[in-house]
Amino acid sequence: MSIRSRREFLKTFGGGFGLMALDGLLAREPRPIAHHPAKAKSVIQIFCPGGISQVDTWDYKPELTRRNGMQFDPSGNLQFFASKPGNCQGSYWAFQRHGECGRPMSALFPRLATCVDDMAFVHSMHCKSALHGPAMFMMNSGFILPGFPSMGAWVTYGLGSETDNLPGYVVLPDLRGLPPGGVINWGAGFLPAKQQGTPMRTTAEKAPLADLFPPDEFKDYLRDDQLLTLLNRNHAADRPENSELEARIKAYEMAAKLQLSAPEATSIKGESPATRKLYQLEDGDVGPFGRQCLLARRLIERGVRFVQIFCGAENTVARKIRPNWDSHEDLPRDHGYWGRVLDGGAAALLKDLKGRGLLDETLVICTTEFGRQPAAQGKDGKGRDHNADAFTAWLAGGGIKGGISYGETDELGWKASVNPTYSYDFHATALHLLGIDHERLTFYHNGIERRLTDVHGHVISELLS
Amino acid sequence: MHFQVIILILFSCGVLSASPHARKSGYWSLKPIVRPSVPTKFDEAGKAINPIDALIQQSLDRMNLAPSAEADRRTLIRRLHFDLLGLPPKPEVVEAFVTSKNPKAYDKLVDQLLASPHYGERFARHWLDIAHYADTHGFERDKLRPHAWPYRDYVISAFNEDKPYMEFLREQIAGDVLRPDDEDAVIATGFLAAGPWDFVGQVETRSGVLRRSARTLDLDDMVTQVFTSALGVTLNCARCHDHKLDPISQEEYYRITAVFAGVKRADRSVSDALKDKLVKERLQLLEAINRIAPGVDLADVVGGGDGLGSGAFKDGIDPRTGRIERKPMGFLTDIKPNRFSPSPNRFVDGVFIPQAGKDKPDIPISSTGLTIPSVRGADGKAWDVIRNGPVDRTHSTVLGGVDFTKEGNALLGLHANAGITFDLAELRRTVGRDTLRFTSQVGYFGTRGDNSFADARVYVDGREVVKFLKLKRSDSLQDMDIPLPASVRFLTLIATASGNGIGMDQVGFGNPKLKAPETELPEKQRRLLADLHKRKKTLDEKIGALGTGKVHAVVPETKMPEVRILERGNPEAPTGVPLAPGALSALQMLDPDLGSVASTEAERRLALAHWITHEDNPLVYRVMANRLWQWTFGNGIVETSSDFGRGGQKPTHPELLDWLAEELRTRNGSIKAITRLIVTSVTYRQVSHTAHGMAADADNRFLWRQTPRRLQAEEMRDAVLATSGKLNLKAGGPGYRDFKYTEAYAPIYRYITPDTPDLWRRSIYRFVVRTTPHEFLTTLDCPDPSNLTPKRLTTTTPLQALTLSNNPFMLKQVGYFAARLKQDAGAKAADQVDRAFRLALGRPPEPAESKVALQTVRDKGLFALCHALLNANEFAYVD
Repeated sequence: MSIRSRREFLKTFGGGFGLMALDGLLAREPRPIAHHPAKAKSVIQIFCPGGISQVDTWDYKPELTRRNGMQFDPSGNLQFFASKPGNCQGSYWAFQRHGECGRPMSALFPRLATCVDDMAFVHSMHCKSALHGPAMFMMNSGFILPGFPSMGAWVTYGLGSETDNLPGYVVLPDLRGLPPGGVINWGAGFLPAKQQGTPMRTTAEKAPLADLFPPDEFKDYLRDDQLLTLLNRNHAADRPENSELEARIKAYEMAAKLQLSAPEATSIKGESPATRKLYQLEDGDVGPFGRQCLLARRLIERGVRFVQIFCGAENTVARKIRPNWDSHEDLPRDHGYWGRVLDGGAAALLKDLKGRGLLDETLVICTTEFGRQPAAQGKDGKGRDHNADAFTAWLAGGGIKGGISYGETDELGWKASVNPTYSYDFHATALHLLGIDHERLTFYHNGIERRLTDVHGHVISELLS
Repeated sequence: MHFQVIILILFSCGVLSASPHARKSGYWSLKPIVRPSVPTKFDEAGKAINPIDALIQQSLDRMNLAPSAEADRRTLIRRLHFDLLGLPPKPEVVEAFVTSKNPKAYDKLVDQLLASPHYGERFARHWLDIAHYADTHGFERDKLRPHAWPYRDYVISAFNEDKPYMEFLREQIAGDVLRPDDEDAVIATGFLAAGPWDFVGQVETRSGVLRRSARTLDLDDMVTQVFTSALGVTLNCARCHDHKLDPISQEEYYRITAVFAGVKRADRSVSDALKDKLVKERLQLLEAINRIAPGVDLADVVGGGDGLGSGAFKDGIDPRTGRIERKPMGFLTDIKPNRFSPSPNRFVDGVFIPQAGKDKPDIPISSTGLTIPSVRGADGKAWDVIRNGPVDRTHSTVLGGVDFTKEGNALLGLHANAGITFDLAELRRTVGRDTLRFTSQVGYFGTRGDNSFADARVYVDGREVVKFLKLKRSDSLQDMDIPLPASVRFLTLIATASGNGIGMDQVGFGNPKLKAPETELPEKQRRLLADLHKRKKTLDEKIGALGTGKVHAVVPETKMPEVRILERGNPEAPTGVPLAPGALSALQMLDPDLGSVASTEAERRLALAHWITHEDNPLVYRVMANRLWQWTFGNGIVETSSDFGRGGQKPTHPELLDWLAEELRTRNGSIKAITRLIVTSVTYRQVSHTAHGMAADADNRFLWRQTPRRLQAEEMRDAVLATSGKLNLKAGGPGYRDFKYTEAYAPIYRYITPDTPDLWRRSIYRFVVRTTPHEFLTTLDCPDPSNLTPKRLTTTTPLQALTLSNNPFMLKQVGYFAARLKQDAGAKAADQVDRAFRLALGRPPEPAESKVALQTVRDKGLFALCHALLNANEFAYVD
């Protein structure tokens, strides 16, 4: 971090420091900021790339089902991302009311249905782009262009980390590959590079972090850390004014700690059979995602601030089914597959967190980059095209009021009609729960004090418990 | 300044509206540059001191701060090498410098380094950060951009050649307009296209709304890049509303957008214009040659003439019958292929329509029964007649910059499939000589595009003497000069389809002439001809050397689109009248009008290039002078080097900044000259490890010492390779790819361990992937190429420690370093240790270090020593 930015940061958040006091702080972590008391300590974000169909999942639209097979666009003027709209197509899964709150959810999510009293739905989400890349960027960084810091980077920039033994912001990508837009989705943008998400590899046979250990062919080569320490100490002794040197010595010590803590955090050997069963680890389809969800719990237990799990990859490695939720051709097939995966992992996570008393201090977010059209797509009429005008995201735990919904779409689930909400309000609310005022978490870049919420955003008070 | 800081806290979004009055009154950066009075000071030897030092000293005096002593030579040479070349000095070079008795050794070293080709490689890194250059598109479908690298090489050579800065800027904005026949100038415009580009939004989606949205952001990226890099203006803040801090209206934003709205990003040929120009020059030479020996025009003969101009333009000979025909005939029917039709024209023996077949029939080509073997691709179909002039519906009679229907040129139009045989016996009488030559420039006069082509062949007495297969418009003109001895009688020209049907197979023989041999000309004319031929040969070589080079840059849109203000930046809400191109009115010394709504795309960019580089523009000089300061001192005089507006910082040394800006202007934009001024200053040469000014100025903004810095990601990689002895200094060309590429809807990039010499080139030559950043370099703070990066950030993390100590690339290099020591220093451990320290740190080990290091080598081996040295703070930091 440049000295100026650090100082700017302190000026903005610390307030009232004299220059001398500032200098003493320059080399250390930014002081964790607390604009107000936090409800949540950490965040687990489940991101479902490709675009979840709101009308088949959480947004109940009986009128759409009633109009099944009727023309969606009699004018013939509409042009979606890849197609012209087909006929109205109601949900492929029946909706039923669940829990004490009685909120409807489709039969795609039998397990999550049992958690509905902890979940708060935002049905009026919309996005500024109907293209995967830009829309992914917006939901993660508040901007449809690449190059802006992701939410996890902002959060760790503002709050720092609770642990020296693990990175503050960990990403668990889908085992199939990167999401659309790649690693930019957890990039630090113009924030210091240390704020970027650290992807963890979660397959059992690999070390959880890149370069955590030397590769096998170098296992037998001896090193001399004492010599390194001696060199560094001598060097630093002549340069006592340069605190970066001390920081770098410390970074090497922390790296050694990571070699112990990272494998421990990502090993599930100690988890009970009940937990393994809860996360469906033996299930070929649900298992890998269930494992990511379980690891997310283990990581936040160990002080990681922000964990981002991807439920789906980019449109690259398509085999029999789509590698993500982007169901242009066969929604019953692709949402059918991914629905079961998300249902298993997310429900297990909510129940597990709750059972351990962690849900109250952990904000769980589940979102996608945009929704899908209520009209059919494709020659068989089994797909749905992109829809930036409406989608549903949900939150749970960490100060969220459960069993409620906020915002509405129109009667067909086509456009957000009541309280349309961009990423701005959504992010503002999440930051609020973490004790951060989204308008005061800023970083100067190319002429502007940048924010996660651009120049927008209001906390959605209806969602707060 | 204090006032501003307080406001930032009060107005939490950090964007504060300045009052209109304050905006108009003129901010410091917008005022004309004033050359400050520099206090005249002399050093102990009575020599006038560098004005930089005089001005720095002035502000230190005000702060009551003492400057620091000069660093020792060992420190200076390492500092200079990294700052100017981005590479460590070789131990031998260090020792020579340290022990040199020459009092001018430092200045000499500076000159040497500025003359090194590696200087451009280092300074280009700074500029490419500002240009957010990469070798892929970015966004969801992050496709390869294989023709981006010529721009990277252009930047490197521009710095190495010390191209005047204003010229450097002009070329990057409008080089293709300024000097279309200069390949470098065309390549320079790669600057405009260096940033990310959304393939899905621009090309793939069918939705007009999404396309317009993507295009709006694309243009925003282009204007932002130009104005941020050249002027330090945050123009992009005025896309949705008037700029909140600086005097930039939303209308001005869109008038600037109108400058670029006529171009789009594309791969383009770099040498088209140059080739056209050279080909034209060559034709002029040919014309001159023709004038000396005019000869008989066979196109004129086809038009019924005697070859000296009596024929009728556009008259032709029907290839089916040999009859004279004037009107356009279009597609011919009633064809009897492979039949010879004699011609009533006494110079023309006859005509025919060739057709190949399964049994490969011979084709009769003369009245005397001569035949030629079957011609591949000839399909027996034909279009129009053989003409004195273009055939029916010829796409264009202009080829290689010459209109063959004008200015004494001639064209024999010959559409596939047709052939014509001339009777040389008759023609010899007209020329008055028995020995002749046939000269012509044959070409394809059909439509553009690589899918249309045809074949052309020439026979002498039934013997094939020359053929051109798959002639396309882009092949331009092909020369022929065929000797016709007295013994031969028939000259036959044939055009055939090339296997893709006869559509547009419009072959033409330009200036088809029968001439006397040059040996029969008078001495004076022969000498003149010899000279002309020599010049033509030189041109031929030049043309032959032109590559099919491409660069990812900009090409004009087919039509100049109208640009209006977009309400709140929304592409679906254009409002008001179409805007003429313009620039910023805030720079009151310049005229912001750049043309009218009728101005062409080229005029607009050219006008902006001149506006930006106008010698009265104070911003352009200040911004670059400041960048040069930052590139050597680590911090700019204005710390926000890409924001000289109210949102940015004010200069710590306004007079020094103006002095440097003025020097840059008067020294014709010489970056090397300014850099030399800076690095030869006493200020630059100060030691970095001293603490006496920490209390007053911990950030060292007033330069009471030199600021130590950590190596940037690329410097670190290059330094590791240089130390291990594996650095491959091959310069230029396509970037090295240290990844495996898998073609897919969204292409996949998987990084590999770079362990071959082609992957050990300097990092500036890396093929930069946008969506899959390089893990090793990113961990070391290499910035995201989606961003314009005016200044790099430095973080210190445990992940960096893991990467430097465990990454397979590092470990392999540690191994090579160890092997190199044995080779360089022999078997004695003490020599190895000495060599290791000199290579890695530029100094011999201290006795205490030597003792411990020897122990390490004995107990754990050379690998352990090398591993520790490459991970040491001293290796990573420059004093």
